Parts: sequence; C-alpha cells; structure tokens
Amino acid sequence: MNRRRIAAVARKEWKETVRDRLFLLMAFLLPALWMVVFGYGLVLDVEHVPFAVLDRDQSSLSRDYLYRFIESRYFDYRGSVSDEREIDRLLGDTAIRMAIVVPERFEEQLLAGRSVTVQTLLDGTFPLHADTTKGYVIAVNNSFTQELLTDFLARTRGLGPDEARRLAEPVSLETRYLYNQEVRSTWSMVPALIMFALMVASPLLTALGVVREKETGSIYNIYSSTASKAEFLVGKLAPYFAISMINVAVLWMIAVWLFRVPFKGNIAVFIAASMLFVLCSTGIGLVISLLVRTQMAALIITIIIAMVPTILFSGLLVPVSSLSPGAQVQAHLFPMMYYTDVVRGSFLKGLGLKSMWMDLLALTGFAVVLRLVVYGLFTKRPKA
Amino acid sequence: MSAKGAGVNDKDDIEAGTLRVWALRLFVMTRKELLQLRRDVPLLLFLIYSFSLSVYISGAGISMQLNNASLLVHDGDHSASSRELIHRFRPPYFRFDGEVEDQKFGVQRLDQGTAMLLLDIPPRFHESIVGREPVSVQLQVDTTNAPQGLSAAAYAARIVGEFSFDLASFRLGGASGGLMDMPRVESAHRVWYNQNQDETWFQSISHILRMITLFAFLLPAAALVREKEHGTVEQLLVSPVTPFQIMLSKVLAMTLVILAATALAMASVLKPVFGVPIKGSAPLFFLMTALYSFTTAGLGLFAATVARNQAQVGMMALLGISPMLLLSGIATPFEAMPPWVQTLMALSPLRYFVDVTYGILLKGVGFDVLWDSMLAMALLGGTMFGLGMWRFRRQFQ
Repeated sequence: MNRRRIAAVARKEWKETVRDRLFLLMAFLLPALWMVVFGYGLVLDVEHVPFAVLDRDQSSLSRDYLYRFIESRYFDYRGSVSDEREIDRLLGDTAIRMAIVVPERFEEQLLAGRSVTVQTLLDGTFPLHADTTKGYVIAVNNSFTQELLTDFLARTRGLGPDEARRLAEPVSLETRYLYNQEVRSTWSMVPALIMFALMVASPLLTALGVVREKETGSIYNIYSSTASKAEFLVGKLAPYFAISMINVAVLWMIAVWLFRVPFKGNIAVFIAASMLFVLCSTGIGLVISLLVRTQMAALIITIIIAMVPTILFSGLLVPVSSLSPGAQVQAHLFPMMYYTDVVRGSFLKGLGLKSMWMDLLALTGFAVVLRLVVYGLFTKRPKA
Repeated sequence: MSAKGAGVNDKDDIEAGTLRVWALRLFVMTRKELLQLRRDVPLLLFLIYSFSLSVYISGAGISMQLNNASLLVHDGDHSASSRELIHRFRPPYFRFDGEVEDQKFGVQRLDQGTAMLLLDIPPRFHESIVGREPVSVQLQVDTTNAPQGLSAAAYAARIVGEFSFDLASFRLGGASGGLMDMPRVESAHRVWYNQNQDETWFQSISHILRMITLFAFLLPAAALVREKEHGTVEQLLVSPVTPFQIMLSKVLAMTLVILAATALAMASVLKPVFGVPIKGSAPLFFLMTALYSFTTAGLGLFAATVARNQAQVGMMALLGISPMLLLSGIATPFEAMPPWVQTLMALSPLRYFVDVTYGILLKGVGFDVLWDSMLAMALLGGTMFGLGMWRFRRQFQ
C-alpha cells in the first residue's frame, strides 16, 4: 500500500464529490434533516384516538363515565351518535377508530350492585393501535369500577372511605419506568435515528461513487493505473468516511441540544462504535456497487437494502427481543441492531464498554468481513 | 407515413390518423422503456424479490404488538399468593424468563437489554393479603422503547388489577356467606375488519405500500435522468416525439410494471400465505394503484428535472420519500402526530392511498366513501405531473 497513491485517489474522489454541489449539500443536509423531521414527527405513542359514543342510557352516571374518555388525552371526542349504523359508516370512512356503546339501564344496574357490560367497537386495520386502545379502555373501566366499588361498599356497609378503598383494592401495582422516566417516544426514537440516518446516507454515497465510474467508463483509468486494488478501495472510501463522521458529530449535537436527549454514557465508546458502524455501512454500499452495473440499480437496491432491514429489524420500532425467532436471526445478520444497542445504551442507559463490548466486537466483525468480501469481489480485470 | 396519407382525406380522418400516430409513438416509447428495464437483470430480480419474498418476510416477521416481553421476577415471598400472581403473567404478551435472587441482578439484565420487565414481590405478600392489609408490588420497565414499555406496563396493570379485584370479590363474597353482587363495568370488545387482530395483514399490506412508493418514484425518475446523463434525451427531443410523450411513456411503462408486481404480491403472498381477505373490489384497487403510481411518478419526474445525475435523484428520493414512508400513517397512527406534520402530510399522496388501500382491501368500502381521498390523489398527481412537464419543456426548448 502506497500512501501517496491512496491520497491521490482520495483527492480525486473528494474533488468529484465537492464539485457536485447538490450531491454535497444533500450528503450533509439529508441526515440532519431526517433527524429533525422524524424526531418531531415520528410519534409512536397512541394518542388522540378519534371516537364516537352511543349512549343508550342517558343518565348522569353514564355521562360521568363517558366524560372520562372525553377528557383523556388518549382520546379525541368526535361526537355522539344515535344509531349503530352510523358507527358503521364512521368507521368505514376512518373518521373514527373506536366507538363506545353504553347499554340501557347502565346506571340502574350499577347502583344496584350488578355488573354491566360496555361494548367497544374498534377499527382493527392497525392491530397495534387497536390493541393499545383496548388497553386504555380497560384501564378506564377498571378505575371506574374501583371507584364504584368503593362507593358501593361505603354506602352498603357503612364503612369510611379509606377503609372501603382498602377493601376494594387489596393489591396495587407501582410501576417505575427506567431509563426514560417520562416515557417519551422522542427519547427512544432520536438516538436510534442517528443509526437510521447513517445507515441510509453512507451506503448510498459510496455505492453511487463507484458505479458512477463504472457507468461512465472512467473506472478504466483505475484499472490501468498503478494503484492497487486495496489502494483504490481505501482511497475511494476515505472521503465518504470523512463525510459520515462529520455527520455523526452533527447528529449527536442535534440529539443532545435540540431534542434534549440526555447522553449518559461514554463518549469514546460511542465514537468508536460510530466509526466501526460507518465502516460497515460504507462497506455495504461498496458490495452493492460491485454487483450492479447501472447507477439506477445501485440506487434502488441500496435504498431498499438500507431502509427495509433498518426500519424492521434494527430495534428502531420493535425491540429485537420481541421479534419472531426467524426475524431475530435476520436482525443478527445486519450490523444495525448492534449499533442501535450501543447508541441507546450510551444515550439512555449510561452504559460503558463493560456492558457493550459484545456489540463493538460484532461491529468489528462485520466491518472486517465486508472489507474481505469487497476485496474478493473487486477485480481490475473485469470480463466484459 | 400514415400521417401523410391521411392528409388527403377529410378533417376527421386527419385527426384520427394523427391520434393513431400519436398513440403509436407513445406505445413504441413505452415499449422501449420496458425493454430497457428488462435488460437490467439485477434490478429486475430485485423488483421481484421486493414484491414477493420480502413481503412475506416483513409480514411474518414483524409484530409491533406486545409479544414475548421478557419478564424477570424477584419473588421475596414464595407463597401461594405470589405464585398465583406470577402465573397470571402469561404468553403471548409476557415470557417468564426466570427468577432472580437479588434485585441488582435483575436491573443488570435490564441494562443489557436481555429482559424488559422486573416484577418485585415483597416479603410478607401472602401474610398481608390474609391479614387484609393493603400491599403493593413493584414493576420496573425498560422504556428505552417507549411504546412497547408503556404497553407492557398497561398489561401488567391490567393483570394486577384483576388479581386485586378477584381477591376483593372473593373476600366480600365470603363475608356475606355467598357470592355477592358487586358493581362492575366489564369490557366487551368487537374488533372490526380484522377480528383476530392478525398483524400479518397490516404488515404485509403496508410493506407493499412502501415498495410501490419506492419503485413508483425511483423507476421513472432514474430512467429520465439516465437519458439526461447519457445525452440520449437530446436524440429523443429531435425525434418526432413530444416532451409530453417522453414523460408519459416513462410513467406508463413503470405503472404497468408496478401493477404487475402488485398483482404478483397479492397472488403469491397476500392471499395464499396470509389469507388477507379482499373485501372490496379488486379492479378498483388496481385502478387506484395505477392512479397512485402515476401520482408518485409525477413527483419522481419532477425531481428528475431538477437533478443532473442519478446520484442526485437518489438523494432527492431519500429526501422526499422517507418522510412520506414514515409519516403518512403506515408506520405510526396518523392522528397522534403533531398537527404541523399532519398539515404537511396533506401533500403526501401516500397519506390518501393508505386510507384507500385499507378501505378497499379490509373494510370493503367503495367509491362512495373513498371519493375524497381519490380526488386528492388525482389532483396532487395532475399538479406534480404538470409541474414536471413545465420544467422539462423549459429545460429543453
């Protein structure tokens, strides 16, 4: 490996990148912009579920009951209907996602100490939201029942309110949320978005950089030059690696200063992991670039390969431990999962090298294997 | 040429003739696009993969619902009551991953991310229950993934709440010598359109939506920019085809490809493997897919007129498409997003197509309910295509 030749290739690549103004702008703008848009926009909390009510009882207790939904931040009241068929239409048009039907004699039955069933109709097209909404409804019903029961016991047995409550709720649950006390999805999303932004932008830059030369034919200059395979590959990667590392710094600043996500971990570990990860993501770009001939193919394949496993198997949306066994295997086959662990661990959990050395090792492994694959695939004597 | 021959006849014939030539030229151009795509074998293979195997993978592999949440227990009591409570944390929501001797070990596991919840049952749990003292159990939840953590906490609260209610009713019933009436609001749920809450339906359909969006944007955009880059667009412009035909033929060709790919996905994965019911009209769905591809292609072509090479188009695609994919309501509930995002997303054709697709496929509604979304898509598509057209003409004339 000759350092001067590497520098020459890198300089050529750098000039090409810098002279393409739009490309350069995008290379820096895109990751930062994503962070901001998704950080603010990608809210995973199920809130403001639009709903309608059908109150067949029209009593003061039923109004009291429904009011708990109306004033909750989880639900958005969209009016009351008088007929079940109207619910049909509203659900079909996606104007509401839930309807509550309070039966006749709701108040009478409850005051007499009998149980009453309240029917909830849910839009099941988005199973996750339907499920979460169901959970909210049950929570409201349970707390309402608790109060009714306390009242009932106080009334029928002549107990004091405290004693009645103790009798009504013998066991309670105290929940402590770790790492993210306010349970804000911004805090869980923003660190993972650093991974996402790097994973999509870096391979694309790299892949296009190589395929562009293949398509225009300027790669023959390299084939016939004195630069060796390794020198070319290292020189070619250097500018993209530099751009990505600058982006890491920018993204970190956005996370900490704009979104106010606490950084509790070890900065050196974070930087080391980021360097390894950038080596992986640019490596993926290189592999793709060697397999395809046209920039169009490189573009589409990179975007899909970079995006789909990143969104699905990295732990960005679903924790890897909750995936199906098959999907878990896939998750382990890509470097994204390990880096997501490191980023979230460094930001939210305040972990250091001791708990995350496995992830770093895995990333190193990916970086090395990808390099070897690239070295094996690249040839200065193409057949065609 | 036929246009010349037609010139001798009367006016109607001329018009019919020119129209025929116009259509013929469009057809030839469309065919050229299809041929070009067919010869890009890696891309073609990838297209097929994206609409078949990858639909299966994401449908079968992803479940965002709480599933197998790994639960550790620190049982300080080891009594009948504590076992009874632990036993209620069941699959599919929870996976009991064993007991820990010490709280500290439990927290360590949460740190490493190998467990999600730690339930702590205090000593004298059983005694308190028998002695009618109120007692509380503690739950620690890893909320690095906020929605899942919340969901797990909600289930846990439900389980402990029911445990407590059962105790209370047993005790009160026992005191009065028989089962006593107690006021209670019970919850009955009916889930429509997807009774079993089968998440594969949702995930596989949304995956197809993602793929349609990506390809509908990228294929025509990349095709147009490639011509610009190679200089072949100049050849086209001096040929008798109009700029409108050049653009339209690309959109047509790619729309056809996308329709075929969508049909492949439906026939090979959605219906046979996941059993997605197609409740509404399939032709209407394909018509809407065509309209959506057209709309998205308009967006892509607009980007292509701005970009000078394929690398730039790729960047612009990422800039435009990734917010569309993540914010239009296929990844997150649309209602929950901040109002400014909802306003911004009125410009995303995918936002309407999501409603149309789920409406037709799962809810079985038709034109009467969905007309507003369709109209919005058509308007957006027309505008984008028009803008792209205008820029394209200005660049080359």
